[in-house]
Amino acid sequence: MGWTARISLGIISALFLLSLLAPCLVPYDPDAIDLDSIRQPPSPKHLLGTDGKGRDMLARLLAGGKISIGISVFAAILSMGIGLFIGLLSGYFRGAVDLTLMAFVDLILAFPSLILAIGISVLMPPGVYTVVIAIASVSWASFARLVRGHVLTIREQPYIEAARAIGCSDLRIVWRHILPQCLPLVLVMAGMKLGGYILTEAALGFLGLGVQPPTATWGAMISSNRAYLNAAPWMVLPPGVLIAVTALCFNLAGDSLRDGFDAEQNKLRYY
Amino acid sequence: MLIPLLLGITFITFSLAKALPGDPVYSMVGERASPEIIEKIRTELGADKGILRQYGGYLQLLARGELGRSYYTNRRVAEDIAIKAPQTFKLAFAAMLIAVPAGLLLGLSAALSRRRWVDRAISGLTISGLSLPVFWSGLMLMFLLSLKLKLLPPSGTGGLQFVLLPAMTLSLPALASLARVTRVAVLDIRAMPYIRTARAKGLGDLRIISAHVMRNALIPVITVIGLDFGSYLSGAVLTETIFGWDGIGRFAMEGIIKRDYPVIMGCILVSTLCFVLVNMMVDLLYQYLDPRLRKR
Repeated sequence: MGWTARISLGIISALFLLSLLAPCLVPYDPDAIDLDSIRQPPSPKHLLGTDGKGRDMLARLLAGGKISIGISVFAAILSMGIGLFIGLLSGYFRGAVDLTLMAFVDLILAFPSLILAIGISVLMPPGVYTVVIAIASVSWASFARLVRGHVLTIREQPYIEAARAIGCSDLRIVWRHILPQCLPLVLVMAGMKLGGYILTEAALGFLGLGVQPPTATWGAMISSNRAYLNAAPWMVLPPGVLIAVTALCFNLAGDSLRDGFDAEQNKLRYY
Repeated sequence: MLIPLLLGITFITFSLAKALPGDPVYSMVGERASPEIIEKIRTELGADKGILRQYGGYLQLLARGELGRSYYTNRRVAEDIAIKAPQTFKLAFAAMLIAVPAGLLLGLSAALSRRRWVDRAISGLTISGLSLPVFWSGLMLMFLLSLKLKLLPPSGTGGLQFVLLPAMTLSLPALASLARVTRVAVLDIRAMPYIRTARAKGLGDLRIISAHVMRNALIPVITVIGLDFGSYLSGAVLTETIFGWDGIGRFAMEGIIKRDYPVIMGCILVSTLCFVLVNMMVDLLYQYLDPRLRKR
């Protein structure tokens, strides 16, 4: 792993750790309304100021970090799981199963992703799980496509034939011989997609379709505070910076993960 | 290819509409209607029939351009979308006017100065562009250009001075992804044997780049342009909301806030159709651009 990736992952881990430890570090409850101190600029008492309901911005930002990063990682794991399952099924059994599943995958990929995520999150009662499901139900399709393509080439390898010849069941072949080969591929893809999930989560929060108030999310903080952009910029700037930094770190890490993976593949190919 | 895809898409939007909370009949007539009336409307809507028959009815409605009526204004959703569509198109077009030349230029200069600081700087810029949430970069641009420098109006729908801010905001992610794709495509193509041939023939750099490199890089570049343009046409929900741009995206946002389901579903359907159609057109364009892809 290159230095960019290490630093990026370090920043994200630090941010997540801080947000988990927030209750011990920041002496304010992120949801506690204090009408005596609304819209206060940053000061030693409130390091990043307070919002329109007098809630401490720092506490809310950290609370939002837990939600944003948590949801994105959770959504990545879920899409990876569904994508692996469908991709393995489709690539290994081919035929009618493959045709049907891939037609469905193409259908999902034909939708503009944010629009479909909006459509799904409108249907369900808003909350953490809804956001995770909305993101995952859009993004599993590209994982499934990738896995299927890879499985199609693996299943023709001699060692799969050998496994079949010594009487391995389909389940065993897929589980022991094919799945482990797909994991690095899928992990790289997840790394590259995480930045996008952060942005989608923020966008859903901004649209009011994310985790509901009073719980703090970065997207919702921007949307509810944006009227004070000029009068109280400390209420709007930091959540955006955090979204951008987190997404950037995930994107950088994903990119360098992919470069490393490509280099690894090339080594295998040429030596 | 188009027909099954359209059927699939309408089936998904139909399923989404079916899964909406609340009974559509109640929302049409109100809670106090007599049971007979409810039963009558239910039969008219075909709610007592099988799911496929209902889907057939839904398709018939769509074919007549009927997307239902807004719960709040009781106006036909299809009409409202038709009124707002030109604004969305204008914004999407303006954004692409900024993104395409800038993205191509950045990508090309990054590729030509590979591994040197220009390349690194551009790569850093583009990956940041991809990581910025549009609703925030939009607010920042608004803060700088209209609140601090007072160059442009902060929001509203209208002529050039109104379209500039949202178009700049919207063009950022497209510009970034376009630059990245162009860079990779140009690097790949420069390694091709035919470029060496061209160089051996004694062609100048400019000619090689314009006639050989850029023309071959067009396919991936146009794919990205199509994807971005398609998704902007499908309503830049976030950007239009921030800048009060009166297009489909903001219409959808208003629907979401008021839980005006016919509006939301209508916008989702129209957006998706736009997106799919633009990408279909891009597919057709490939065959025009690359003779190898034409069917023999």
